Amino acid sequence: MRGPGPTPRSSRARVRGATIAAFVALAPLLPAAAVAVGTLKVDAALPYVCTLPSGPQPATVRIAAAFPERVAPGEEIRPADVTTTVELPAAAVADLTALKAATVRAESRLAVGVAQNEQRAEATWSGTAQPVDVPADGPLVLTTTGDVPTLTTDAAGDLTLSAEGLALDLAPSAAEATPTVPASLSVSCVPGQAPENRTPFATIPVGAGTGEPGTPPASPSAPSAPPPSSAPSSLPSSSAGRAVPVRPGTADGRDHAPKGPRIGRQVDKGPKAADENTPGTPAARPAAPPCVTENPTSHSLSAYITGYSNVRKLNGANVIPVSCVLIEQGDPVFDPRPDGSFHLLTPSTGNLSYQGRKQTPPFKATFLTFGFAPATATMVLEQTGPLTVDSDVLLAFPDNLSDTYVRARLVLRVLDVRINGTRLDVGPSCRTEKSLTSPEPDPAKYPGDHLVLLGKGQLINGTDATGYLLTGGGPLTGEVTIPAFKGCGAGGENLDRLLTASISGPGNYIKQIQGQTCAVEVPTEGQCTEDLQPYVVPKPER
Amino acid sequence: MKKPIRNLAVVAGAASAAFALTMSPASAVASTVWTVSPSPASITAVNSGNIVLSVNGIAMTCTKSNGAGTGQSTTGNPATVGNITSIAFGASGAPCTSVLGPVTTVATTPWTIVAQDYTAATGVTKGYVGNVDAKVTVGACVFRVTGKASGTYTNSTGALAVNSLAGELTVVSSTGCGSAVPVGAKPTFKGTYLFKAGTAIPTIVGSNP
Repeated sequence: MRGPGPTPRSSRARVRGATIAAFVALAPLLPAAAVAVGTLKVDAALPYVCTLPSGPQPATVRIAAAFPERVAPGEEIRPADVTTTVELPAAAVADLTALKAATVRAESRLAVGVAQNEQRAEATWSGTAQPVDVPADGPLVLTTTGDVPTLTTDAAGDLTLSAEGLALDLAPSAAEATPTVPASLSVSCVPGQAPENRTPFATIPVGAGTGEPGTPPASPSAPSAPPPSSAPSSLPSSSAGRAVPVRPGTADGRDHAPKGPRIGRQVDKGPKAADENTPGTPAARPAAPPCVTENPTSHSLSAYITGYSNVRKLNGANVIPVSCVLIEQGDPVFDPRPDGSFHLLTPSTGNLSYQGRKQTPPFKATFLTFGFAPATATMVLEQTGPLTVDSDVLLAFPDNLSDTYVRARLVLRVLDVRINGTRLDVGPSCRTEKSLTSPEPDPAKYPGDHLVLLGKGQLINGTDATGYLLTGGGPLTGEVTIPAFKGCGAGGENLDRLLTASISGPGNYIKQIQGQTCAVEVPTEGQCTEDLQPYVVPKPER
Repeated sequence: MKKPIRNLAVVAGAASAAFALTMSPASAVASTVWTVSPSPASITAVNSGNIVLSVNGIAMTCTKSNGAGTGQSTTGNPATVGNITSIAFGASGAPCTSVLGPVTTVATTPWTIVAQDYTAATGVTKGYVGNVDAKVTVGACVFRVTGKASGTYTNSTGALAVNSLAGELTVVSSTGCGSAVPVGAKPTFKGTYLFKAGTAIPTIVGSNP
């Protein structure tokens, strides 16, 4: 047994945790009071109308961001601290509670009109929100954050930013951390004010001209939403966020005007909205996070994987949510063995991919710790080393037998814990002290701590292949030891031992289901979406 | 272009198995008049049992495959008694499979149905499916196969049994397949299709007037 029993936690500490949580939750709602020298802080509340399953509903969209107070022509404008907060009314919450949703995760895409001197361009500000609890009554507040494209203009004069169509993808989960049916809800929102009545939410003077200092014209006390505009704004296109410089005035940016605002690439590999579930289009497949292969090669594959992971100590099973894996398939090579057998080896490498990071999406798990206290933890698996996929096919004519080993260095990071509903502040760097580990069949070749999953497939005498197939997917199983936790706690309180005692330990069974891969450069019908993401979204299997 | 069957047999005879299967009975006289009935015939073909493509020991299985084509009486030897104008491997929800993953095969048609030898006692025509050209995709591995595949057609059952001989089919291009399926690899193609012309079974009869 690793580690002693639980550290008793005082009720005072719990209350302190809850207080901090409340403050954090309120922080994005506080109006920006101070304007730092050289920085233009914007916090604008705008009336919107969102189309929900129950019909159009008024909503408030609050945009907060920081910009340079003034820039020179050609100087990059890099929006910082961008948050988009959508406050949906109680009626919208009813749409979610009708799905029996306990929590909801949101992704947003806000179309931002950029204008200067009669020239226009459009940027997409994408953001994601941590899962939030669906309130029993009252409004639902979703605050999304993300990196947004930079802006550059060669012309002098005021550059204005206006909020236009907003697309929201909601992924509700039921209380037991399983997706609801349907698993996603797409909501499109348009500004509540007619175009002629709208004002920019930010104005940035460019050059030494006489442009007025930038001010956020809309305030939190903006009037409530009027009826829907008869001329709805365009919704952001799913690809606009990745646009290379776009000049205003033309759809393709081929305007020959020498000057004008341009939208750059995103500041970072920021969040991208789920392309496949663009609001307004029927969901052709279950909700899944974006899984885009940047710079694909002829060997690029992408796939989703999801499944259950038991935590033996807690007598529970987590659902590891649908996660994107980007793979470079190796060239198969023959391997004649001394025993006369013939093998075909395909060594591939891959990475988890979620919002530009090598990790799974965050997931929630609810357990009864020590048999009585309901605890909900929000966690992610972070990849800390190579992820390999090694397929070994025994060619035993007329049969083919394949063993595919997936090896990955993954630490389990805990983002948030609630015990009996009270937040336990685990701090920002609470994770297992090393990678999850599995028994390794070939430790000489694959040293170190890592997770091992095995997929077995076979094709017997001219019948269909069954089981796990390298590019076709299937079940991958393994057993994992969860190492001790470190770095957990805040305010001087060390929660490592508590989490280690609660969660860490050996013998945790994992069963992950890999979906059909998408061969990005050689897409096959039914395997890739139109924008070359994996079409097949697998479901967890017991 | 017409070649005596004996020459073809000698070419194929590089492989002993091929020689045994292709060699006409010593007593037979090569047919030069081929009567297809009905003629012209609009033919449909559906697999009976699984279709298996193998390359270097890697097997790919199709539980569903079907095609369409035409048949017509003709003369000569070898003689093209029919064309396969479309052929599908796998079906929606039932793709061809391998342990490397689902296999997608896209055929470039027409393929030909070529008759070489007819045995009146059994009603069996020997010949081959010619002009075979298909692109096969498994994950990131894509290769193109061309050539022909020997087979027999049995009038009583309408069964075209394809059982290609080593060397008849060749991989002419390959990407992402490594040494598993290099250019020059010799796949084999095995499977049986049942032919129908409407509700009737089309027949092929060879003669040498």
